[in-house]
Amino acid sequence: MASSALRRGRTPAVFVVLAALGVALVALPLLGLLLRTPWSRVGEILTSETALTALRLSLVVATTAAAISFVLGLPLAWVLARGSFRGKTFVRALIVLPLVMPPVVAGVGLLAAFGRRSGLVGAWLYEWFGIQLTFTTAAAVLAATFVSFPLAVLVLEAGLRGLDERLEGAASTLGASRWYVLRRVTLPVMGPQIAAALVLSWARALGEFGATITFAGNLQGRTQTLPLAVFERLQTDPEAAFAISMLLIVVAFAVILALRGRFLR
Amino acid sequence: MRRFAVALALVSLVATACLDDGPNAGSGDSASAREEADLTVSAASSLTDAFTEIGQAFEAANPGTAVTFNFGPSDGLAGQIDQGAPVDVFASASPTWMDSVQDDGPGVTDRAVFAQNRLAIIVPVGNPAGIQSLDDLTEDHVQLVLAAEGVPAGDYAREMFREAGISEAALANVVSNEEDVRAVITKLIAGDADAGIGYVTDVTPAVSNRVTVIPIADEVNVIATYPIAVVNGTQEVDLAKGFVDFVLGDGQRTLAEYGFLRPP
Repeated sequence: MASSALRRGRTPAVFVVLAALGVALVALPLLGLLLRTPWSRVGEILTSETALTALRLSLVVATTAAAISFVLGLPLAWVLARGSFRGKTFVRALIVLPLVMPPVVAGVGLLAAFGRRSGLVGAWLYEWFGIQLTFTTAAAVLAATFVSFPLAVLVLEAGLRGLDERLEGAASTLGASRWYVLRRVTLPVMGPQIAAALVLSWARALGEFGATITFAGNLQGRTQTLPLAVFERLQTDPEAAFAISMLLIVVAFAVILALRGRFLR
Repeated sequence: MRRFAVALALVSLVATACLDDGPNAGSGDSASAREEADLTVSAASSLTDAFTEIGQAFEAANPGTAVTFNFGPSDGLAGQIDQGAPVDVFASASPTWMDSVQDDGPGVTDRAVFAQNRLAIIVPVGNPAGIQSLDDLTEDHVQLVLAAEGVPAGDYAREMFREAGISEAALANVVSNEEDVRAVITKLIAGDADAGIGYVTDVTPAVSNRVTVIPIADEVNVIATYPIAVVNGTQEVDLAKGFVDFVLGDGQRTLAEYGFLRPP
């Protein structure tokens, strides 16, 4: 006790000032949004056709992206946590890259891969099957998945690493098949991590902007998710932009609350 | 020293964020430290190349001055100024957003029209959808990209469709509403859209080998008017006025070189 009090007493003043500035840095924009939100119009704005269409699309896009991130992320997390192969470090670094990459660069990359004319895969898809991804909801899902996938993989990998493998070992010595062990032991034990992976990748997908507008475009009902709606409203109806922003912040806050005590402490 | 630098960076960031909340909220004094004879000009994206050149000529003609440009969609730029961004001169691609700064923002002086621009159909090189005229934009499966509503180029394009009587069919073909015409052209260069509407001047030498311009007949075309003005509250009134005069004078030749029409 005494030593912790002593430590507290010795916190350098400059740290206190910088720490306060750090909090202000995050709090001021939020406060600004809170003060600028036209509370009397919020109901009307959020039930407007533009907002509802964007909300519906955002839910579809984020949920699909989170589901894909989980379905592809779990096997990858498994391989990274338990497999041993050359280049594992490289694969992990590659997977994390979208987290630190500017989203607009992600959009440019997606165009280079899936664009209908010059895309690595996209040109082929278009030529052979007449499939064009750009400007479709599928493109918005792809962009959202690209940026949220790393979160799912990282959280699931951490979950698998933290798993007590003796549980699985016990199940298989009792004669359970590998799939049975996965279904009845591994996945249930990993419940909190799976929930965290889904929620985090869903939240990241919900907030995706740069890759979406660059790769999928911006069209109401097809690719205009909530963040894109905020961006467009900012030009024509700033009050609506503030109201929709507030909705996104409330959702983000709910995500943090949901994860409190589970993944985040 | 390093700690000091970090603190300074934080203070200036916070002070910038405070600008939004009015003059009393920001107490930092470091953020207001302005270089002498430094001019900030917010200008419509379509002016990027012409104004960059004009800015260099202005600096050469006024030794010791530095012109900093902030290019973007006129509506966004007007919004920044209305929110208190420290801008000395504003050049808009439409009178609407100059009005916004004049009436809802800090106000302006020395307002004048300095250029005009025409719209054109822009298609990727090779013209995959075989677009030859405005009417072709209404055909099935044409993927059309416009600047968003509220962006001058987007509003002008929609106005032109209305006047040509093809509004409904053309707008049904829109696959994306972009931030500005530069973003429209980016989509065309990628080759994912079939056609876009932009200004004649947007097809700069940098992109002219990757997109093709299809002129629009004068009788249906919309003429975009570009106003420029000194923003009230500038610390550099004389220099700002000097820049406006320069654009209206020597700058006209440069603007003409980039395809702008002279003011009426």
